[in-house]
Amino acid sequence: MNSFAIAQPKSFEDASKIVTDKKYSLAVLKAGGIDLLDHLKEGLIEPDLLVDVRRLRFEGGRGSPGVSGGTVRIEAGTTLAEIAASDALRQAAPVLAQAVENAASPQVRNAATAAGNLLQRPRCWYYRNEQFNCLKKGGSTCFAAEGENRYHAIFGDGPCHIVHPSNLAPALMVCDGVVHLVGSSRKELPLARLFHMPDKGVKSENNLEPGEVVTFITCDAASKSGFYAIKEKQSFDWPLVAAAVALELNGTTITKARVCAGAVAPVPWALPNVEEALKGVDVANADALKKACAVAADGAKPMTDNAYKVKLLPVAVRRAVLIAAGRKAEVES
Amino acid sequence: MKIDTAPTLNGTSSIPFDMPTTNRPMNLGQSMNDNASRLDGIAKVTGAAKYSSDMLLPGAVFIRFVRCPFGAANLESVDDSAARKVPGVLDIDIQMKECQYNGQPVGHVVGDSPAAAARALAALKLTWKRLPVKTLITDSITKAPEPTEETKKLMAGAALSHDAVYSTPVQTHSSLEPHGGVVDHKGDKATVYASTQGTFSVRDGMGDVLGLKASEFEVICEYVGGGFGSKLGGPGKELTLAAKISKKLNRPAYLVCNRAEEHLDTGNRPSSRTVIRLAFEKDGTITGGEIRTFGGVGVAGGGGGVAIPSGRYNLGNVDKKHEDVKFNAGGPRPFRAPGHPQATFAEELMLDEIAAKAGINPLELRRKLFKDDVYKEMLEVGSKLIGWKDRKANGSQTSVMRTGFGIGAGGWGSASPGGNAEVVIHQDGSVESRTGTQDIGTGQRTTMAICTADSIGIPLSLVTVQIGRSTLPPGPGSGGSVTSPTTAPTMMAAAADAKAKLFEVLAKEAGANAADFSVKDGAVLRGGKQFLTWKDACSKLTADGVKGSASTGDGGKGASQGVQFVRIDVDTETGVIYPRHVIAIQSCGRVICRKTAESQIIGGVIQGLSFGLFENRILDRNVGAMVNPNFEFYKILGPNDMPHIEPVLWWHGQTGVKALGEPPSVPTAAALGCALFNAIGRPVRHMPLTPDKVLMAWEGAVA
Repeated sequence: MNSFAIAQPKSFEDASKIVTDKKYSLAVLKAGGIDLLDHLKEGLIEPDLLVDVRRLRFEGGRGSPGVSGGTVRIEAGTTLAEIAASDALRQAAPVLAQAVENAASPQVRNAATAAGNLLQRPRCWYYRNEQFNCLKKGGSTCFAAEGENRYHAIFGDGPCHIVHPSNLAPALMVCDGVVHLVGSSRKELPLARLFHMPDKGVKSENNLEPGEVVTFITCDAASKSGFYAIKEKQSFDWPLVAAAVALELNGTTITKARVCAGAVAPVPWALPNVEEALKGVDVANADALKKACAVAADGAKPMTDNAYKVKLLPVAVRRAVLIAAGRKAEVES
Repeated sequence: MKIDTAPTLNGTSSIPFDMPTTNRPMNLGQSMNDNASRLDGIAKVTGAAKYSSDMLLPGAVFIRFVRCPFGAANLESVDDSAARKVPGVLDIDIQMKECQYNGQPVGHVVGDSPAAAARALAALKLTWKRLPVKTLITDSITKAPEPTEETKKLMAGAALSHDAVYSTPVQTHSSLEPHGGVVDHKGDKATVYASTQGTFSVRDGMGDVLGLKASEFEVICEYVGGGFGSKLGGPGKELTLAAKISKKLNRPAYLVCNRAEEHLDTGNRPSSRTVIRLAFEKDGTITGGEIRTFGGVGVAGGGGGVAIPSGRYNLGNVDKKHEDVKFNAGGPRPFRAPGHPQATFAEELMLDEIAAKAGINPLELRRKLFKDDVYKEMLEVGSKLIGWKDRKANGSQTSVMRTGFGIGAGGWGSASPGGNAEVVIHQDGSVESRTGTQDIGTGQRTTMAICTADSIGIPLSLVTVQIGRSTLPPGPGSGGSVTSPTTAPTMMAAAADAKAKLFEVLAKEAGANAADFSVKDGAVLRGGKQFLTWKDACSKLTADGVKGSASTGDGGKGASQGVQFVRIDVDTETGVIYPRHVIAIQSCGRVICRKTAESQIIGGVIQGLSFGLFENRILDRNVGAMVNPNFEFYKILGPNDMPHIEPVLWWHGQTGVKALGEPPSVPTAAALGCALFNAIGRPVRHMPLTPDKVLMAWEGAVA
């Protein structure tokens, strides 16, 4: 780790200017600093300037998530712990609170931010190990393709097989999340267009331009929504598979469903086929629900060691549906 | 029940602290001290305790190993010109060689700061030619060996038979404090700050490297952040290099591994592959067969699941052979009950599979096969505590979440008498216990104080303990679970000696017989009647006080046994295992401190569950480099994975101190595997028992 300077701009606009200042060889934004510190410690990047945006609040932004008129607003620098602790948000969009309440560890959740969670780099063990010069680092090989890929993607055609690590991203996807930006002519970008697949650029995962800074995030309220993650370890582990679901119900019948999976593809993986299959399904009808969710893994192309994820995905989706429908007790029955 | 209060923190507050033991009433009153908290607990959790890796001495230099990034590679060229230009770089030395494992050192860099050393390391331009690698036992042993003719005949003629392969992965020690330390060579004397399980073996191995006599240097190891066997033996490559550099540069030299280096090159529990072919009768009587074990030892050494048959069960006439299998990975070191947890996993799950085939309850089969009655008694107690009667027959449940019960057993040998200790009673009534043996986290400092206080008959608060220095009376290395069985009786003998010397002084002054005196509850009695307070009695001493010593005590009292019961829930849709309850019965002889002893057992269970569920050194099959040399993907049991663990101290009138370090970690993963078999009705024979394997077994694809 080399010495670096820290800038503490007064506004997101200033942060945008400083982070693109050409006099630095590598200037990076620092919010919670969780992913950044991981990169520094492993020697993956050597920035000479950190631009601290941790405490910045955009116009009208507060510390805790706000809900008004069917819209949820979360500041870029709001921590995962603050999201999980907000009663208003848990009422308006439980999927968001459930997505972050068991992420990482309490210590990490107290520091990690909403925008940082969305924009964190993948946890692929080849990417994270300085010894492996993989595609993401300018190399010519995806070591996972022929190597150790038990935690890698079951969707996508490569050439890189990461899974998107954020829990918050699939949750925001099912609530039509939007990130709000400064630093360019565009003022916002829907979650659905925030990320790109590896074939559209393997060295990054998102579509932000240099100097674009996330100021806050909005999404629609979704009171009937839920999140379910299957993890090997119940403390401080990444999901093997996760699912976020938002429902509209008529009694116990699904009239509209939004479904997005995490940890199965290089981006939050929307599942329109499941959304279609869930329409008209009575959530009290276990067999019908199971059948509708079974299509979640259609089109999956497992690698050598991760076929189990194909089995887990429909389970995670079905359990998220049950939680969204207020039937948590049926999840493990 | 005695409730201790913590030592004052910065002299300002007194924090009462206590581990809830109300759920373990069976252990109450079975020890010299029930509830003493670690004397150094507050120092450790506040950072006041200085570990060897905390010794940042003025003027120190910092060493980093240059290591092979691949499983097998030839170092073809070195360009260190850029590295030598890094400000603060003091020394670079690299040998050209062919490397056989990821993490193998080829040299070192030295800088005047950690950053300078790291920058020099990054600036080195090394050209490696990668070579083909093997990373697993199965890369060499591609299929199970053919059974012998005798085995074939035996199995063909038997009513029932069992033929299966079991395996366990490589487990790394994952000590919180990494390997290494600091050497401060001052020309004619030196101080070595070591993180070691053998203060005196470091001393013995250091003299030649330092060029000094044992009397000219001191090894200090006041605190150790875990070792689990990996810090046994001499100085190791870390301290040896630090000593050379300190001597060469005449500055303190600091060399402490980072987490990745810990996983790669400081030892591990070797993987195992166990082929079992046994014949048995319909009543579960096992008539014999063969067992072949293969140990995944990396580049060197021996081991694996060697300890099967364990000898605890009647398995008939078993032909056993072991073979070490080399591949491109760091070699093993002793790891908490070497060879046992792997072997026990195979042995216990094999028994449950045999029980299932014979249609016998696994508890009943063990009653039948255990050779030693102690194990049978433990079975009865444990099965009641875990609620064995609620166990459903294998695979008979229909719900998504299924409950499973499993049993495992473990045994351990006894320690030889040994060790040296001194106890000084001072004029002011304070008492000092001295023994050079280190505390690897098991509570040595605390137990030595309790032994002293108990032996003399005074409150614990009067005793201070000095340990972990080569200038103190020599004690054993902390391996083989011998530390307490040897040092406790020795310390008690030294304390008794000091007390006798105090009595001689009192007798002389009072014109009485030393045999008339005794100490009870901190008061000195003469002829059984109150004579002097402890403080007043000690004031009769000269300024030197009196010193008692002992060079050997009673030694360990016999082998120890343990039986554990595990109850789990398994989610059959996700394959996730939730451990719910563990009963860990452990024979322990005379317990010095109940809380410390229970903690030791609980720790063994946690490590065993972690081994069974998660831990796994994963090497890239093509490059041979470890993909998870961290605590993110080298997974270790966390708080939410923790079951309710009930240690049961099996005291039963035994008077000596028995081994308690290794035995509790032996049966846990095995009992877990048996519980999984019970819950889902199919065995998962390959650890770790991760969801992918559970689902595969669930769907019938039993390997």
